Amino acid sequence: MHFVLRRLGFYLLAFWVSITLNFLLPRFMPGDPVSRMFARSQSRMTPEQILQLRQLFGVDDRPLWQQYLDYLGNVFTGEMGVSISRFPTPVVEVIAGQIGWTLLLGGTALLIAVVVGNLLGILAAWRRGGFLDSMLPPVLVFVGSFPYFWLAMGALYLFGVSFGWFPLRHAFSAGSSPAWTGEFVSDVALHLVLPAVTIVVVSIGGWMLAMRNTMIATNAEDYIVMAEAKGLRPGRIMFRYAARNAMLPAVTSFGMSLGFVVGGALLTEVVFAYPGVGYQLLAAVQGLDYPLMQGIFLTITAAVLIVNFLVDIVYVRLDPRVRVS
Amino acid sequence: MSVTESTSASLGAPSGVGSRPTPNARPDLASDASPPPGPAGRPAPRRGLLRSLFRNRKATVGVGILLLFGALALLAPLLAPGDPMVITDAGSQAPSAEHLLGTTAKGQDVLALTLWGARSSLAVGLLVGLAATLVGVTVGLAAAYFGKVTDDFLSLVTNVFLLLPGLPLLVVLAAFLPPGTGTVIVVLIVTGWAGAARVLRSLALSIRAKDFVAAATVTGEGPGWIMFREILPNMASIVMSTFLGVVIFGIGSQAGLEFLGLGDISVVSWGTNLYWASNDGALMVGAWWAFLPSGLCIALVAFALALLNYAVDEVTNPRLRVPRRRRAGVRAPGGGTAVSGAAEAVTGPAGANGHGAAPVLEVRDLTVEYRSENRTVVGADRVSFTIGEGEVFGLAGESGCGKSTVAHAIMRLLREPAVITGGSVRFCGRDVLAMPDDELRSHRWRDVAMVFQSAMNSLNPVMTIGDQIVDVFTTHERVSRTEARRRAGDLLELVKIERSRLRAYPHQLSGGMRQRVVIAMAVALRPRLLIMDEPTTALDVVVQQEIMSQIADLRRELGFAVLFITHDMSLMIELSDRMAVMYGGRFVESAPAATILAEPRHPYTRALMNAFPPLTGPRTELRGLAEGVRFTGIGDLVEVAGGHWVAPHDEPHDQEVPA
Repeated sequence: MHFVLRRLGFYLLAFWVSITLNFLLPRFMPGDPVSRMFARSQSRMTPEQILQLRQLFGVDDRPLWQQYLDYLGNVFTGEMGVSISRFPTPVVEVIAGQIGWTLLLGGTALLIAVVVGNLLGILAAWRRGGFLDSMLPPVLVFVGSFPYFWLAMGALYLFGVSFGWFPLRHAFSAGSSPAWTGEFVSDVALHLVLPAVTIVVVSIGGWMLAMRNTMIATNAEDYIVMAEAKGLRPGRIMFRYAARNAMLPAVTSFGMSLGFVVGGALLTEVVFAYPGVGYQLLAAVQGLDYPLMQGIFLTITAAVLIVNFLVDIVYVRLDPRVRVS
Repeated sequence: MSVTESTSASLGAPSGVGSRPTPNARPDLASDASPPPGPAGRPAPRRGLLRSLFRNRKATVGVGILLLFGALALLAPLLAPGDPMVITDAGSQAPSAEHLLGTTAKGQDVLALTLWGARSSLAVGLLVGLAATLVGVTVGLAAAYFGKVTDDFLSLVTNVFLLLPGLPLLVVLAAFLPPGTGTVIVVLIVTGWAGAARVLRSLALSIRAKDFVAAATVTGEGPGWIMFREILPNMASIVMSTFLGVVIFGIGSQAGLEFLGLGDISVVSWGTNLYWASNDGALMVGAWWAFLPSGLCIALVAFALALLNYAVDEVTNPRLRVPRRRRAGVRAPGGGTAVSGAAEAVTGPAGANGHGAAPVLEVRDLTVEYRSENRTVVGADRVSFTIGEGEVFGLAGESGCGKSTVAHAIMRLLREPAVITGGSVRFCGRDVLAMPDDELRSHRWRDVAMVFQSAMNSLNPVMTIGDQIVDVFTTHERVSRTEARRRAGDLLELVKIERSRLRAYPHQLSGGMRQRVVIAMAVALRPRLLIMDEPTTALDVVVQQEIMSQIADLRRELGFAVLFITHDMSLMIELSDRMAVMYGGRFVESAPAATILAEPRHPYTRALMNAFPPLTGPRTELRGLAEGVRFTGIGDLVEVAGGHWVAPHDEPHDQEVPA
């Protein structure tokens, strides 16, 4: 319990850092991007909206500490201004409409990559010198060396443009509207294949190699030799004794690498024009939509931190040594 | 100290007199190394790292690719067909003799763009790698060296930075900063240093705890000296792999940022090439040549760096290297039985076991080799002995002499690189080395069980001890879980531990309790032979006594034979019926324990016995192993008296080689 509370404190701190970063960036960066934004879009806004954005971005005469407190208050009440590029929708609404797609894409890809990658790693370490151990890692390292977006472009070109097997863009066909019908779900699934497979293919090698290396270290432990001496079946030793222990560092690194996966997913979304927050983030950057940009950054950060916290709770369940101390 | 090292050179005496103390240098304190020999505790010296890297194929391929790209980038002005920025009206042309890689939608030459792009991409990657690693090293070292509040603060900052999702942060930072390559570099350093700092801090912490750092502190060296001259050189391989990792990150992220249009799109780099290709809709018109080369280059460079990184890992941790597929621990083809006169010795000591019963275990000419790429070391050399029903057979010798190797070979638990190359192991007449896997599994634990050296490490830390005992029953006998659990409880009570502790995890028990749990587990199936490999080494003297008397009680009750391995001669003589002394993989003496105590014949036996002071009686001067007793070319045992077998030797003083 103590451990969990300490981690919670840490994540709150990290979140506070990212909010503060968000607060400071527009106020101290050279070049005054905010005035460019206002110059472009002021004419469309109501005075209240202008005032709110001014306060959010520090075009404001109040003392800094007061601005900061207001800013914190705004963030925690979800007041992040209106989106410029999708005027006049509030930032929170824009994000709420898109985060589901990102969760779907990122979640699916992550789940497949983690499960399959770790299984491959376990098997590779178990049969040292076998096919999985000697042939697969170099191949996966090579594939993993490609930039996410480039592989996505390649997949799009090959399977979308040339072969025409999969749709080229968006999360569902134009003209259909979201509903829980078999037709719509399969349409969404079809749109999901290429982007998800790209993410899986690029990231799976990392999971596999990390698991393989941990497993190799674990296999040298005395308790594995003891389990063999006990005459246990290989499958039981592999999963209950070796993998079960090798899993612990893998769980920790899962949290750490989440940020990278999110980054990769963003780029993939851009290539496939997948309507998630990553695609929206790029649109925001191009449209000088700073409120939306910041909102998306905070949302992604919060999501990563929450998942990390969940991972910590799982870790406590998995490692009896942490549970007690 | 591993078997490999010890048999070859530094047996007996602490050879590195005057040098920094290495762990396990004193045979009387060290625990016997169990196979396989792992990597040495000390980090490999830098020169060794580089030399090993040169021999590593992955490293050579990686360096080759990197050198090639480096050369291409440097020579771009000479090699490139014209200025990449020249816009012509020959747009979107497929590769041809005129334009080897075709042209972009604006009519730029793709080959020229790719060659020039290498310059910016590689330079940014290198710069980011150097700067971020430097920051990471400094922060990591400072945190580890100063500790306390500094460490708390720096670790906190590091971890926060690690947690913030990289790309979104990059995007937001780059969006606020004026566009340009400088911005990209700064932003990448800001987001890239934390990973390096985290790895290096934990490594520096472990090195800081080592003796030589303490020594430097005592001699009054300043923090700078200690951090950069004492600690840093020992982190070379990790610093290098961190650097490579950051360069990969730098090149990849730069490309990502530029692809999103957040860099300076007027600069030619692989990332901006891809940005333009995407912007011009190269994919939609099927102009694959516009985006293929740059992406391939990024991938190749990243792959080369990853290979190099992987090679560094392999060199520092040889276990990661992919072994040739071979079944470990089983007789290698062609490894026939070594011809020797030792076979006679078998019948000799066995016949004299004083029990007159049929042997439970019969080991004959057992030879185990540790095979590596460069050399082969013999871990056990034509070892022969038998253990009768209910007999306690002791095996004594210093660390690395091959005791554990013999024990593991008997249960066929040896792993790569150890291979049984000759001899036989028979259990009640059955050939253990010839057993197929299924039979071997049911033989293990049911017939022969083993108590390993360290109870702390031989229990699975994430399973309750109850589940670990239940595993034995459910694997070997058709019993329900409830029944298995009941019997597990009985077993715990047998070694005087409450049943309720079945639900405990290993870390919740004391060292002595853990070892008793292991002993209980070992007798679970009433095996006829129990191998005890230094069962009390890691325990304090009082607990040792408890454990030993418990084993004696169990033996009285269950009547199993024991192969007892230790370097503690007094304990061994007290417990064993017969015993053998082992040195450098060979037996040097074998006799009833009382005989060895009364008249040890071999000079090594005498040296070993003198290494331990008697607990009672007048004080005597210790003349132990420190004198530097070394033997080579030990011959086969010869019977010198009834049941007393000794390897031929000259008189003690002729054989002693000064250290």
